[in-house]
Amino acid sequence: MNPLELTLGIMTAVGGFVDISELVFAAKAGSKFGYALIWVFAIATVGIMVFGEMSGRVAAVAKQPVFNLMRHRLGLKLGLVTLLASLIANLITCAAEVGGVAMILTYLTGAPFRLMAIVGAVVLMASMWVLPFTWIERIYGLLGLCMLAFAAALVAIHPPWQSIAGGFVPQIPAGLSTKELLIFAYFAVAIVSAVMFPYEAYFYSSGGIEEEWGPKDLPMNRITCTVGFGLGSLLSISILASSAQLFTPVNVDPQLLGSSALEVAIPFGTIGLLIALAGMLFAISGAAIETCMANAYSVSQFFGWKWGRHRKPWEAPRFTVAWVSFFTVALLIILTGIDPMQLVEYAVLFSILVLPLTYLPLLLLAGDKSYMGNYANGPFGKTLGWFYFILITLAAIGALPLFFLTSGGQG
Amino acid sequence: MRFLLLLLLLAGCSKGPQADLQYISEARSCAAEWALVNQEAAHGKLTDAYVETMRKALRQQIGTAKAALTVPESAYGREMAALLSTPGDASPRELRVHVDRLRQIEDSLESA
Repeated sequence: MNPLELTLGIMTAVGGFVDISELVFAAKAGSKFGYALIWVFAIATVGIMVFGEMSGRVAAVAKQPVFNLMRHRLGLKLGLVTLLASLIANLITCAAEVGGVAMILTYLTGAPFRLMAIVGAVVLMASMWVLPFTWIERIYGLLGLCMLAFAAALVAIHPPWQSIAGGFVPQIPAGLSTKELLIFAYFAVAIVSAVMFPYEAYFYSSGGIEEEWGPKDLPMNRITCTVGFGLGSLLSISILASSAQLFTPVNVDPQLLGSSALEVAIPFGTIGLLIALAGMLFAISGAAIETCMANAYSVSQFFGWKWGRHRKPWEAPRFTVAWVSFFTVALLIILTGIDPMQLVEYAVLFSILVLPLTYLPLLLLAGDKSYMGNYANGPFGKTLGWFYFILITLAAIGALPLFFLTSGGQG
Repeated sequence: MRFLLLLLLLAGCSKGPQADLQYISEARSCAAEWALVNQEAAHGKLTDAYVETMRKALRQQIGTAKAALTVPESAYGREMAALLSTPGDASPRELRVHVDRLRQIEDSLESA
């Protein structure tokens, strides 16, 4: 295991962990319920560690990306339904991320939103065209490390650490009305969805195949998933805790993406604001690329086309047309004038509905000795996997009613 | 299942101050955030582009919330209208007066 590769892998995972949904829901969750939802972030993070590790292991051992497995395991009809559902979920997520990039460019420059959406999308598509997979992953992941400013800001505002630590204990705050309880449940479901977005598994496992992982890479896969995702999740928790500390006392329930940047500007001033916006820009840009690529990977793998960013764009033409088309449609969605924050709500909702179908075939294959041999899930991995599968299934069942009953968490 | 459907139907069809509650809290929160932005801007902690973009977006959100009210001719409707006619660089204290009024209305509706 090359220590430099390992460090880069972990840093990339940290910088690339947070996306627009986590930024939005962490800030809102903190202002609405204080530290009481930290445990949901912690539990969901262990979930993405479990399934991320599994998808990387399957890619390294069985050399199978997630959508290949899905068609084999679910059959053509159910596989096709899953493909369509996940394409829609990822496309909405991608549009929300493109909108997020445009919003941050607007905060930085003051230029019109639509113009910034076009500029942002063109720059991202150019970088996807020119850069090889590893560089795409690393550039956006490493520059996303500017998000560490949120952790530094939390330390600087001297929060009540004991209360934050208490937030890691599963709890439902006492004295909530029925309406508040429903909103609390909606936020819990939304956080699970935002942390365990299905595109993360598609992108991660396809990336493993792009980078030609083998069994020798399994320790790196495990450490990257646990340490990288774990540290990345601490950034989301920092945003939540700063929001509870700074916004709740002044009646602010953050409505905008730019609200989160205030958490860093308050202790560190203009420099802090610019670093926070830069971190958000690169983290969200990385997520926009990942969601778009995840869709292109899914379609190509499902229909057996040539795919991968290790090939020149013209060597995998249908794959190239797929990612260019998905990105263009995402941009067009944003140019219609739809509010990106509204799209975030829809992305989270659609994604949670797709999650069980995404993770079930992965769970079955990672436990199948005929494919995985000695690298199949052990009893601990199986137990964790099934626990999370039940959890996301329950979240998926509750998502729609909670969304309507709480008007998307607004009350 | 029937109870759930009924709840969903009621959630979609309700009118009056209770149905406006979410828009009142949205406007209150936007106004509070506007005050916070102006407060930090006065301390020189924010860039001009950021401040202008935030003010514009927050004002737009308040406008959207006001437009969605089922009872626009109400105390909270008038508070929102007053907010919309407030200049962007209004003092945080002035903005927080509106925040407090909207909060009071919100609290009284929630406890009703």
